[in-house]
Order: sequence, then structure tokens, then C-alpha cells
Amino acid sequence: MELNPCMKHQLVRKTVREFAEDVLRPIAAEIDHDARFPWEVVEKMRALNYFGLQAPPEYGGAGLDTISYAIVIEEVCRVSAGVGLCLAVHNSVALHPVLTFGNQEQKERWAPALATGERIGAFCLTEANAGSDAGAVETQAVREGAEYVINGTKIFVSNGGVCGLALIFAKTDPEDPRRGASVLAVEKERPGFMVGEIEDLSGMRCNPVSSLFLEDCRVPEENLLGRLGDGLKIGLATLDTGRLGIAAQALGIAQGAFEAALKYAKERQQFGKPISSFQTIQNYLADMATDIDAARALLYRACALKDAGQAFSTQASMAKLFCSKTAREVTNLALQIHGGCGYSKEYEVERYFREAKATEIYEGTSEVQRMVIARGILSRPG
Amino acid sequence: MNNTANGRPQAIWVFGDYRNYFQNRVTLQLLAKARELAAALNSEVSALVFGHKVDEYVKEYIAHGADRVYVVDHVSLKYYLTETYTRLLEHLATEHKPEIILVGATNFGREMAARAASRLGTGLTADCVGLTIDEKGRFIQTAPSFGGNLLAEILMPEHRPQMATVRPGAFAELPHDNERRGEIVRLNLPPDLPPERVRLLKSRRLPHREQRLEKASVVVCGGRGMGSKKKFKNLLELCRLLEGELGATRPVVYAGWAGEPSLVGQAGKQIKPQILFSFGISGAIQHTAGINAQFIVAVNKNPQALMMKMADVGIVADANQACLALIRELRERLRE
Amino acid sequence: MNIVIFLKQVPMVTDLPWDPKTGQMRREAAEGMMDPACKHALEAALCLKDEHGGRITVITMGPPAAEEVLREALALGADLGVLVSDPRLAGADTPATSYTLSLAVRAVCPEFDLLMLGCHSVDSETGQVGPHLAEELNLPGPAYVESVQLVDHAIRVERVCDNFLETLEIDLPALVTVTTQSYQPRPVPLGGVERAFSQGEVITLNATDLRADLKRVGFSGSAGRILRVYAPRAEQKGVLLKGAPKKCVQELLSRYGDRLGALMGKDLGEAK
Repeated sequence: MELNPCMKHQLVRKTVREFAEDVLRPIAAEIDHDARFPWEVVEKMRALNYFGLQAPPEYGGAGLDTISYAIVIEEVCRVSAGVGLCLAVHNSVALHPVLTFGNQEQKERWAPALATGERIGAFCLTEANAGSDAGAVETQAVREGAEYVINGTKIFVSNGGVCGLALIFAKTDPEDPRRGASVLAVEKERPGFMVGEIEDLSGMRCNPVSSLFLEDCRVPEENLLGRLGDGLKIGLATLDTGRLGIAAQALGIAQGAFEAALKYAKERQQFGKPISSFQTIQNYLADMATDIDAARALLYRACALKDAGQAFSTQASMAKLFCSKTAREVTNLALQIHGGCGYSKEYEVERYFREAKATEIYEGTSEVQRMVIARGILSRPG
Repeated sequence: MNNTANGRPQAIWVFGDYRNYFQNRVTLQLLAKARELAAALNSEVSALVFGHKVDEYVKEYIAHGADRVYVVDHVSLKYYLTETYTRLLEHLATEHKPEIILVGATNFGREMAARAASRLGTGLTADCVGLTIDEKGRFIQTAPSFGGNLLAEILMPEHRPQMATVRPGAFAELPHDNERRGEIVRLNLPPDLPPERVRLLKSRRLPHREQRLEKASVVVCGGRGMGSKKKFKNLLELCRLLEGELGATRPVVYAGWAGEPSLVGQAGKQIKPQILFSFGISGAIQHTAGINAQFIVAVNKNPQALMMKMADVGIVADANQACLALIRELRERLRE
Repeated sequence: MNIVIFLKQVPMVTDLPWDPKTGQMRREAAEGMMDPACKHALEAALCLKDEHGGRITVITMGPPAAEEVLREALALGADLGVLVSDPRLAGADTPATSYTLSLAVRAVCPEFDLLMLGCHSVDSETGQVGPHLAEELNLPGPAYVESVQLVDHAIRVERVCDNFLETLEIDLPALVTVTTQSYQPRPVPLGGVERAFSQGEVITLNATDLRADLKRVGFSGSAGRILRVYAPRAEQKGVLLKGAPKKCVQELLSRYGDRLGALMGKDLGEAK
């Protein structure tokens, strides 16, 4: 593994950082406060390949490697985690499964629209009774002639309020525990597809997380992704990639909070000195910097394994687990360093604090990540 | 062509940049500084005037310090022409071998001086804010970089003439002295002047209003510390009371709180007001590089912000609240 | 149309990393970025290429890290990047830099139509390399140009020159330097970054490749010598007023009202 970032990764970082600072920073607080999805920024991002980060150029994507992908998500989330969530979810759990499991016809049908952001993607797994227990999903897809009829309710769908293509995880054979679920792609125009209310969440509020109602929603059999019964396989593989995106998100949130705290500590004076000269604050900053560095190394290693075609599932879970924990701890310390100001919405640090917590919960809670890691460790020979 | 210094100090030349005569005083400022340098070097000051029907400038330059004026007066020189003037300067400098040539750092001066320096095979120090002779008799040029955040003292040990462009306003002019006498040397156009390759199709003087911010003597600048678009607009009332112009930082322009024409900084306008009021600005170099103010009043919650360090008076307070307080106070005092 | 753009990588600094003991700028502590005026020149070139077709070559002189600005230009649509890098070229003043760049353009694109540069860089801010280079290559070279249009085998440019808005016409080949007042630089597309590294062509030339006269390049080829460098604004020079905004404002006007009034040419009245 390289010791220093290569020039391409440096340029990716600078490019995205400049864009995020120019275009997102001025509105980041406002879109969070108003829970507004910033379409004007999305339009700009579409033209710059943000919606097709790893998709091949023939579909309109940028064709970037996975570390570059992680850098993009990190740099966007460093400024606005809600917008970063949109990109992470769209790229890793909507576009990526279409490219990985779709047949040629499906890729040609959906990939260009997704890679250019013409359609925003979403992956729908969670239900009221099925969170960590994905097997408890109740949404059903029943074959009728050349169509599938889908009935069910999905909740907490990131990008739900704006998605143009939803990948629905549904039961196609309730009796089969291993191959009873499948993934069906549903375009939002399909009759019987309805977006529910947007959730009123603590953080990442500019992302329209919502429920999706499927009431006798009919899709042609050509919308089945992969084979019948591939649901578990697609779900697990998708979540592996998704975890890299969430880890990058958490890293960006931590980085943003850390920079704010560092700046504040150098400027804020008490007892005649900047607070950065006090040992307690220095200890906090040292811990924050160390954890962020470690989290970044873990994430990039998992990304490098994926690009090398090697198994990366355990490492992806480790990265997601550690990065999200780091985000929570770093944002907590960052707010503490800001003192009373940190609790006020006039400073951005409380937003990072609210955003960090979600990263320990969605796309597999930290408890589930530990399950995945333990399974990975215990299944190794010897 | 590497000239080396001979023993005897030669003259100090000042290029006569007479366009915009009433606003552009840089030649007169340079003549004053050249007199000072000439005194230290036991030398004399010559001015150069190229143009058509330029006698009034010749007289002015003598009255402001020139001992000699070289004049090339020809109808073909009616407009400033970069390559032609470069060749004229080269021609004269090659023949008369001045020690030092000073050119005002106007757009024209900077371009022409650079071309002339190349032709003369010598160096050129840009936009100097200080020129002195040190105790060893060396000509020291002080030039800024990084928006004036860094100053360098430069000397040219061997190459002659030593050339510098000088920032307008860096030096003060001497008073007009009608008693001063000087030699006027009238020269013809050299026969081998190549034709000018740049065709001037149109030239129009920019109306005064198009350079309001750059020419304003009072500027009120606002940054993100103002808090919101609505609060930012309070600065307009302050501008009105102070008869000043509004400036803004890049983040504020991007957020739509102010328009692009108000942008002050590297990518925006260069301002040189008598007074700058700076509200809620941290002082990033991209912004401060555009500022050359006589007196700065800054308002920022953070006393350590760079803008506060640059300021003559820093007010540690919320920018919007201070703005409103200043508006109230001024209204009372100005009897509104 | 063959356009050559000269780019400069400058330190990316919002706060200069200062060494307070020596008063020196710690350049190595700062990352690099493409100089803003260069971005505008590149954008002007891209607009010409969009409209008329042609080829854009970008050249930069600097350490190996400067290759990054070439890749960025490739990502935006330039066709070839040229890195001129050699320790012997370091420490060059503007004439030495221009001499070196003139050799580079003669080596890689002698048949150029138009050379473009930013009007000045944000670090050294001399604005001299363009005009020097025009002299080295015996070209007309108007500076501070705000727009460039191709008209047959000539260009028509608009520029602001000391309060005059001039429209000039120059036969090609020619050189222009571009200000930051117009041409909004387009953002870098991420697909472009990937292509810049996977397919983009960058060649590297050193002083030997350029057959440079070593007496005219680098530090030894430079006329000026720096005696010292210092920061005039490192210290807090002014006064800090603290307290309620109303009180601060009253103190400001009572202590400095006369001075402010004199500078403004306005009577700021009496305290009530």
C-alpha cells in the first residue's frame, strides 16, 4: 500500500473540496435547518459525474477507483453530510448493484440515467418489522404472467423522496429461507409506487428520507435484478460496498468537526492564552487526529482490497464500525472544545454532532457490523 | 546583453506615463523618489516622454524634479503603443546607459517595462513599494508578494540598467516648482522602428461609475460573519451614511448575499480606500490581497482573526450588531 | 488552432504558514494549486477550442509536484501536458523563467498560433512573464485581456488598460495574458480527472532536453538577489475594543472620529 496519496487522489480531493466549499458550504446550515434538498447543487453535480463516480464512461460515469470514490464522499460530507448521503447511497447501493448484477439490457436501460443523475437511486430493505433482521421482511413480489406485483411498505429509505429508481428487496418465496428473496427495480412512474412522508430526522435533514408504499405495484419481469432468489446474495454484496460509502461519510463528518475544533481552539482565548495551549485540549486534539488517521487507513485498505478483486467484506465492516465510532467520538469532543458556542446553531459543530450518530445505525448497525466481523474471523481456518 | 556597472553613477530615468494625468500621479511620485535616489548617488534625474504634442507634460516633469527630459514627439505616437515605446526606451537606454529606470506600475507600464527589460537583457522588479540606497551605495528595491503579506528587499548586483516598476501611491510627489529649470532633449524617431503589430480598433475611457469600488475612498466590506443575507443588507445603509461602496468576500458572493461586482480580492476588485470597514471577515489571503487601505476598522467575534490583526482598530463583537450600532450612532451624529 | 497555455502552480494558502523566527514563508508546508489567473486563461482557451476546435498544450515549469496542474488542465480538456523540471532551473527570476519557457514552446509546439498566460500569479504577482516571453519569441503580446475572439487568422481582444477599454486586433501568432475579470473557470469533472491520469499525456523536459544556455536559467541566470524577506503584518498593529457593540462603536467614534472624518473628507459630528 502506498505511503502517500498518489497525485490522482490528491487532485480528486482538491477538486471536490473546492466544489464543496464554493457551492455547498454557503448553504449547508440552511438546507439542514429547512430540511431542503438542494436541487440546484444536484444539477451542478450531475454535470461533473458525481452521480456516476465508479460507473464506466460508456454509461456517462467517471470510472474512478474505490479510494477516489471514498475521497469524493468524504470531501462532500466534510461540508454537507446530507448531500453526501445522497451520493453514497445512489452510487453504492443503487448504481453499483445495477452494474454488478444487471444483465446487458438492464444496464443499458438504467445505467446511463443513473450515472448522469437523471434518475436518483435508492435501495429499499428496511421495514417496520425488519431492521437488523433482514429475514423478517414482509414485502412480497408475486409473479402474475409476465409481471411481478409488489405489495409492502419500506421505511427509512434514503433518497426516498427524490428517487427515480428504487431497488426493492422483496420476498418472492416466503417458504424458502435461503433463496426466498429477490431484488426488483421499480421506476417511480410505475402505478402503485408512492412516496410517503419525509422523515423528520435529527441530522442529514436535507436528505429526503421517506417511506415507500407499494400497492399492487406492477413491474415487468425484466425488472428482476439477477435471478429469482438472489435477494440475499445481492443484498449482502450491496451492503459490503455500501459500508465503504458510509465509512467515508463518517470520516468526512469527523474531519469537518475536527477542523472546526482545531480552528476554534487556536482562536479562543481563556486565562490569557489560546485554549489550544492547555494540555486537556491538546489531549483531545491528539486523540481526534489519531483516530481519524487510523479510520482513514482502515477505510482505504478496504477500498484497495475491493479494487484488487480480493474479499473485503470483513474489512468493509471494520471500516464502517471504526469510522462511525470515530465520527461520534470526534464530534463529541469537537463540540466540547467549542464550549457553549458548540451547543448553538450559529456554529456548525452541533450539526456534525447530530450527523455522526446516524452513521452508527444505518446500513447495518454497529452491532450488526460486529456480527459480520466475528463471522469473518471465526470462519477463518486455523 | 549583460551590462556591467562602470565606476561612475549614471542618471536615474523615469518613464513619463502621462495618460489620465489628473488621476495618475505616479510619474510625479517617481520623479520625487528619483530626486532622493539621485542625491544619494550624486547623480541626476531624467524623464522620458513619448507621444504627440506633449510639451505640457515636459514642463510639468521639470517642475516636479526632472533635470533633463528626453522627448520623442511624433504624430505616430499619439496613442500609447507597447512595442513602439519599448523600442524607443531600448534605443535611448542603449545609447545613454542610465543606471536606473523607474516605470509606474500601471497596466501599460508593467507590460512595456517587462518587454524593455527583456530587450535590454536586464532584470525588472515588479510593483515596488520602497526604493532606497543603502549604506554601501546599493540600490535596494522592496517588492511585495502574496498580496503584500510578504515583502522582499532585492538588489541587482550586475545587470544594468536596474529596472523597477513602482506601485502608484507608494511615494509622495514634490510640490510643483515653477523656478526649476531643466534640459529638454528632442529626438527624432529612430529610422529602424518596426511597424506596430497591435492594431488599436477602439479605445474608450471607462466611465467613472464602472470603477466605483476601485476608486472609492470609503469601503464597507462584509463577510460570512454578518450571519445571513438579510443581515448583510444592513451594510448598505452604512454605505449610504458613510458615502462609501460595498465590498464582499467570495463566500458571500457565492451564497448570493452580494453580487460579483462587489467581490474584493485576488479574483475580484483591488481596492485602495482611505478607510476600510470590515465586518465579519476572517482575512483570508484571497480577500486581503485586494486591499491597500490607509485605515482599517474591523469587526469580528474572534480577536485572533487575521483581519483583526491587520486592522488599526478591531472591535470584538458580532458583526451585524456592531453594524447596526454604528448605523444608529452615525444617524444621531449626522442628525438624520 | 494551436494554443499553448503556461500554467503556474502556486501555494494554496488562506493563512500563510509563517516561521515567526525567521520571518520566512514556509512554502513547503503549503499544498499547491493552479494559480487563479491561469485558470481564467485556460478557460479562455477552452472556450476558443469549444468554438473553433484545435489543440491545447499546457506547459508548466516547476518541481515534479507541479505535474498536478497539468493533469488538472487535461481533466478540463487540454490535449498535452509538458512539465519543465530541473533543479538547475529553480530560483529563476521572470526573464530567466521566460527564456526557459520560450525554449519549451519551441521544443514541443513550434507551430503555435496563440500563447496564453494568466495576467499575474497570486504569489509573486509580477505579471512580467507574459511580456518577457512575447519579446523572447518576438510576438505581439497584449496583457490584461478580458476577451479573445478568433477573426480569420487574427484575434480581436478587449482589454482594460489604465481606465481605457481597448479593442485590439492582432495577427497570429500572438501572445495574450488574461485577467480574472471574465471567463468563469468551469469546474473540473471527475471523469476528466480519471481520464487525465489513465489516458492523458504528460511529457517531462529538463534543461538538457531544452538545450538551455545554463547561464540564462535558474538562480544563476537571474539578475536580482534577495537580501531579505519579511512579513510586515505579523504583529498586531492596532487597538482592540471589547464590550457591548454600542459601547465599542461609541468608543471608536469618540477616539477616532476626527481621524476617520479627515480621511473621509466628512464631518462625523459630535457625540450626543
